[in-house]
Amino acid sequence: MKNQTKSPCIAAFLMPRIGEILFIAIFIALIGLGPKLMNVDGDLGRHITLGNHIITSRSIPTRDVFSHTKLGDPLTPHEWLADVIFALAHRAAGLDGIVWVTALIIGAAFWLVYKQSLDLSSMSLLALAGTILAAAAASLHWLSRPHIFTILFTVIWITELEKLRIGIRKNWLIFPVIMLIWVNTHGAFIAGILIWACYIAGLILDQKFSWPEIKTYLWIGLSSLLVSLINPDGFGIWKTGFGFLGNRYLVSHTAEYLPPDFHQISTWPFLLLIVLSIGLLAISKRRMNASHALLLSGWTAMALYSARNIPLYAVIVAPILVTVGADYLQANKSKGATDKFIDLQSRFMDIEKSLKSGLWSGLVVVAAGLLLMRGFTLDFQNKGNQFLDNVFPVQAVDWIEENQLQGEGFNYFPWGGYLLYRTWPEMLVFIDGQTDFYGEELTRKYEKVITLSPGWEDVLQKYQVSWVLMPTQSELIQHLQEIGDWNAVYQDQISTIMVLGSGE
Amino acid sequence: MPWIKEDRFYLAVLLLLVLIMAARTPLDSDMWWHLRAGEETLLNKEVYSEDTFSFTRDGDPWLNHSWLSQVIMYLLYSAGSYKALTIWVGVCALASIGLVYFQMEGHRIIRMMTGVLAGIVASVVWSPRPQIMSLVLFAVVSYLIYLYKWKKTNRLWLLPLIFILWSNLHGGYVLGIILTGVVMGGEIFNKLQVDNKPEYLSWKEIKVLGIWIMVCLLAVLINPFGFGMWKIPFNTIGVESLQNLISEWASPDFHQFYQQPMLWMLFGVMAAIGLSKRRIDGSDLASLIVFGWGALIARRNFGPFALVTAPILTRHLAPVLEEFKTVIEVKFSSVRGLFSSISESNQKIKPGSRYAINFILLVLLSVTAIWKIYDVSSPSFVEQNERTEFPVDAVEKLKGASETGLIFNEYNWGGYLIWNLRDFKIFVDGRTDLFGDEIIGEWVEIINAEENWQKKLDLWEIDYVLIRPDRPLALAAAETWKTLINSEELILLERKE
Repeated sequence: MKNQTKSPCIAAFLMPRIGEILFIAIFIALIGLGPKLMNVDGDLGRHITLGNHIITSRSIPTRDVFSHTKLGDPLTPHEWLADVIFALAHRAAGLDGIVWVTALIIGAAFWLVYKQSLDLSSMSLLALAGTILAAAAASLHWLSRPHIFTILFTVIWITELEKLRIGIRKNWLIFPVIMLIWVNTHGAFIAGILIWACYIAGLILDQKFSWPEIKTYLWIGLSSLLVSLINPDGFGIWKTGFGFLGNRYLVSHTAEYLPPDFHQISTWPFLLLIVLSIGLLAISKRRMNASHALLLSGWTAMALYSARNIPLYAVIVAPILVTVGADYLQANKSKGATDKFIDLQSRFMDIEKSLKSGLWSGLVVVAAGLLLMRGFTLDFQNKGNQFLDNVFPVQAVDWIEENQLQGEGFNYFPWGGYLLYRTWPEMLVFIDGQTDFYGEELTRKYEKVITLSPGWEDVLQKYQVSWVLMPTQSELIQHLQEIGDWNAVYQDQISTIMVLGSGE
Repeated sequence: MPWIKEDRFYLAVLLLLVLIMAARTPLDSDMWWHLRAGEETLLNKEVYSEDTFSFTRDGDPWLNHSWLSQVIMYLLYSAGSYKALTIWVGVCALASIGLVYFQMEGHRIIRMMTGVLAGIVASVVWSPRPQIMSLVLFAVVSYLIYLYKWKKTNRLWLLPLIFILWSNLHGGYVLGIILTGVVMGGEIFNKLQVDNKPEYLSWKEIKVLGIWIMVCLLAVLINPFGFGMWKIPFNTIGVESLQNLISEWASPDFHQFYQQPMLWMLFGVMAAIGLSKRRIDGSDLASLIVFGWGALIARRNFGPFALVTAPILTRHLAPVLEEFKTVIEVKFSSVRGLFSSISESNQKIKPGSRYAINFILLVLLSVTAIWKIYDVSSPSFVEQNERTEFPVDAVEKLKGASETGLIFNEYNWGGYLIWNLRDFKIFVDGRTDLFGDEIIGEWVEIINAEENWQKKLDLWEIDYVLIRPDRPLALAAAETWKTLINSEELILLERKE
């Protein structure tokens, strides 16, 4: 008898649970996609540079130190904590460290989505399917940038609100703590306030509230709003956020804020989630609770408005859909196929409950970290985690470093972050990806130059630009090569450096 | 109101509002070649089906699925110029929303407001093109299905007649087939449910619907192109450039304010279904998913989406609002007092005064509608808009410069040139199904001044280039071609001798 009870105990520690397998799969997939995470978008360089500056100077800059166009202007460092984390990871293991952190954060976020789905539905297979679909929808915006922290905090925030709704959590003190970290990590902390608003409105619509309950929710909102002011720029963080979102020009010129293009396959999982939402709403026998209905419809609208909201939509909506699906299956368990599925599901749950493991996920995370630190390449294409020379002006910046290019420059907007990563503080940029800081006026000037609109030369003169770094095929480079005042001092297939005059 | 029932009053207000919204200056880049094709059909007493407008597809057969609409458009234009076209678009918009109103449920104010929302969403496709006929016929088919399912009144025998007409008016007949098929699928789904509601179709009724779909599919063959009509949906979807170049085939851009109402409607219907205790019907579910998907893929599908969604929205919104009102009345006694005082003060208004107010409102709306139709289609207003959207100066210049010639043109100006420069031939116009990826791909290469652009212009022996000044070709060809016009709106270049 003793042997019979011992062997399942060992197995219980060795066998991974479904959630753990899911975490490992997502983590490994992200490690494998490392170069893609850092090469789709040009902002990572800026984040690492700013993080390093904060660590070195032990101060958070509230004025610009990166550009020669807005040097010294007030700046809202709304991602400073994320930048510090990225910089620490970079100090520990270079760009491999950044990929490792990204994989860990995203993996953890989707493990939490799975866990929340499981807790609400008690159906592990359904929770797994829902989380995989959510991960597929969110994957179009998996990049090494501070917004990954918002994905994680959104899941944590909604999990805690859900606990409060169903009565597991009684006090509200955790919420301001989460908000304090969130507000200093990424500007999209406003999502937390919107989610909270859905819960309190839902409570009222469902008519199941009591004043103590309402008071708890009001305290969450009030304390979170107050705590959101504890950041290097105080109230300015709200002003910057709304100022940017309220500026139609800037929003429409920022690719990730544009609505999803459903002609791209990468958006189809999101479309499938919408279809599934409508379908599940339809077949559900019970009325959905109002908080969930508001979250589902509201975040569908927000994700359709801006593709960058799709990951948040996915992590918010997946547990709700899993819950509705589980309710439907329970209500129809007398039917043949449903009955078989529920039977299979309960056997899975029995096995799950007997497992104690957490071992494998820990091992995989540590092993991946150690291997990357030892210099192993773990990405699927075996390229290594680096800024690719067919995306960024890698060789051009080598040339700049070798030849110590002097004077103020004009650079391609998506390369600003990379330039900072390689050349700051010796060199300042004209513009980079922090559109909310550079604002409409400078962005319009930049646009005027790259489209050769009337007055483009005046912009270069005003900022005393003596060199230009732009894509070789760009209209600006083509035109500068035709007129006599500018000379190409470096050129490859990706980028060209033009200097005013002889370049000597 | 003795002369109009209260329900009809709200319908009248809705229709007048729709008419005011739909009364627009009848200028659309495709309108012109439709008018010219209609004219050719009438002149030759034969359906225009072989290209003579372009030099890139000159003499090629063209499956002109909108020939009857084009004839109607040309006859209207001949009889009443732009005014007639404005009225035509207004009447079509009004008819489609009016038919939807009868399918809605709930209080008349909710129905009217939802009708207005549906109108705003569908207004994206209200333009003087055969497509508007598809919108009306789509509403007719959806109304017949509504009668069959919800009112148990069988008028399905009208469907084949509608589809014969539809397949001669516009290739969008496939939307009607999809709607009927989707409803059939939804009803099969209903039959698989445990409960059986009175509105569910019986198996026999589902079979009847299926048979009518088959008959309708055969009915669409009654047109000058026979079996070719079946290929239309596939031909259109197969053209890749359609999706990359033409904005109405692109996914909606909700940053554009005029496209946002679709998002509000989707949000509204999802919230209403979620909050409502009434479970959604299978047909409604299938229609919402299929036409919602269509609208998210391409904004030209906003019209059908709005028409199918409006009745579904009211079916769920009405009980939600009723429940919400009860909650407020129970929980907040002061609000209950407010409701009763509003109701009392309403009752205090004498019927005569109420009729007078309503009558004045209808008169005001009617006058506004008539004034707007008159204003937006007045020659001076049309000319002013024509100058901002089309190359009016270039057409005048070309008429003076030469009797004939081949023009490499801006895509959206092709139709306008076809209508105004009768003896010139153009490179491309809005007939994407005729030009296909081959010609449109070449057009993209030339206009972006990609490699060998000059050689391609030489190969086609093009005499003139008429494009917008911000095109890379405008900069590239500035030195080697003679500039006839260079303005903020357009650039007209002529081949140097």
